[in-house]
Amino acid sequence: MRLYGLFIKNCLIAQMEFRGNFMMSLIVESVYLLAKLLYVLVVFRTDLHVDGIPPEGLLLFIGMHTVMTGIYVGVFFTNFMKIPEYIKDGSLDLMLTKPVSLQFMASLRYVDLALPIPDILVGFVMIGIGWHAMDIPLTFLQLAGFGLLLFIGVIITYCLMIIPALLSFWFVQTGSVSEIAHSVWDANNFPMAIYPAWVRRIGTFVIPLFLITNFGPMFLLGQLNWLYGGLALTASLVLFAVVRLLWNQAVKGYSSASS
Amino acid sequence: MDFIRVRELHKTFVYYRKGAGLKNSLKNLFARKALVKEAVKSVSFDIGPGECVGFLGPNGAGKTTTLKMLSGILYPTSGEANVLGYVPWERKNEFKRLFSIVMGQKNQLWWDLPASESIYLNKCIYDVDDDVYRRSLAELSEMLEVEELLDVQVRRLSLGERMKMELIAALIHRPRLLYLDEPTIGLDFPSQKKVREFLKYYNEQFGATILLTSHYMKDVEDLCKRTIIINEGNLLYDGELHKINDLFNEQKIIRLHFSEPVAEQRLAKFGKIVSGDEYNVVLELPKHRLKEVSRAVLDSFPIVDWTIEDVPIEESISMLYRKESVG
Repeated sequence: MRLYGLFIKNCLIAQMEFRGNFMMSLIVESVYLLAKLLYVLVVFRTDLHVDGIPPEGLLLFIGMHTVMTGIYVGVFFTNFMKIPEYIKDGSLDLMLTKPVSLQFMASLRYVDLALPIPDILVGFVMIGIGWHAMDIPLTFLQLAGFGLLLFIGVIITYCLMIIPALLSFWFVQTGSVSEIAHSVWDANNFPMAIYPAWVRRIGTFVIPLFLITNFGPMFLLGQLNWLYGGLALTASLVLFAVVRLLWNQAVKGYSSASS
Repeated sequence: MDFIRVRELHKTFVYYRKGAGLKNSLKNLFARKALVKEAVKSVSFDIGPGECVGFLGPNGAGKTTTLKMLSGILYPTSGEANVLGYVPWERKNEFKRLFSIVMGQKNQLWWDLPASESIYLNKCIYDVDDDVYRRSLAELSEMLEVEELLDVQVRRLSLGERMKMELIAALIHRPRLLYLDEPTIGLDFPSQKKVREFLKYYNEQFGATILLTSHYMKDVEDLCKRTIIINEGNLLYDGELHKINDLFNEQKIIRLHFSEPVAEQRLAKFGKIVSGDEYNVVLELPKHRLKEVSRAVLDSFPIVDWTIEDVPIEESISMLYRKESVG
């Protein structure tokens, strides 16, 4: 944990070195966010209901997705993009000789502090508005449940999105797989009820994508039973174990680069 | 007790070959033939504590691959190694705390931050005690004369200064074993000298074992009594550096300087002409012919000066690489 704190500190120092880039990141992400807000506007204008959920309720889903995108972009994205580079140029070599978990070093070393600020801020505001408009009680149980599902979402995001990067141990270039993963990511923007049953099943049980941002709002709306809650928790643990196994296997076969 | 014990270490890599052009790329996309390169073939040696050993070989000889296996970066295809009581490729954290690897072509310092931040990061990674850290940092930076530069961003440092910082970062946890892969590559002479002096001091002061690869003969000459030479994955020589010449002591070098131009081909019958022009010629010849040839050239040519020398060490090593008449 102390080491992670140091990573964050170092990233902050390094990013503040380049003020221009820091500001640009903020602006770029804000523009993306603005596009998303226009989309929210359409939802409200057309008074869209999905599976009986009014626009205010949908705001919970969109908000959660925005927060999670912020977390992904800020904490994971840069690292996962860098893993294939480490493999290609052999910089994984030196990391391998350090007496700390290589997976931790390689997959969590960089934290982008500018990109996620607008997403997380606006996302939570949307959740707040939805929470209030839907008359959901602000109790400890609700907060803790939502918090736990958010945390589970983060773990699942880590596990699912690192897989393309892991494949680069075998194939070196895996940009195309990352591309697919990023396209599928936005499928979470809405309640999964908009998809046909078979897509919902795949997205819940095969590639548990919907667990990331759908379950939190569903819990608040009273649509999540204990069985699904347990599934989310188990899935995150199993996925993490699988990724850990895959990582160890990948590193074992690491062939380094010529120097 | 041996510090490093290597037995029959072997490493093969699979690679593909592709001819130039789009046609070959297309062919390659559907069917590619896997080729196997034997980077290291059955290498065995032992290194004792506190030894400083030079690891020589031409490019692609297998030096770096061997170092990577001994530091646990790579798994060998077969063979055994024991380093400080550990099998390196089991990658145990206790083992990782005992050594450090410095590669002249790779850096671990954070480019946009002052070196002091990266060194502090290593302090935390290796869990170095605060007091020990402060003392080590002061001592190492003083020896390398970079105290003033610790707070300067790494990207603003010169190559030599950066290498010194890399060394500090690698040594902050006082490793007992140091692998150095071309640590002086690209450095100017004063920086090379400083780095060499520093490594010598570190080796003597802390009794650290050093395994060094370098293409600069001076690095190895100054630091290492013992040298291991490999080529194409095979171990060619393991012994004292200056004794390499003994392998070729059947050969001698004669340098001749003439007062008038002499046609080179007239000298060819006396030995192998290594270099020369019409006024200066360097001849290599078997030792037993030295007397006869000396007499003959002195009698037949307008000589103003001449010297007899041993074959230079670099030349001996090159001959070893070419596997010319060993012993």
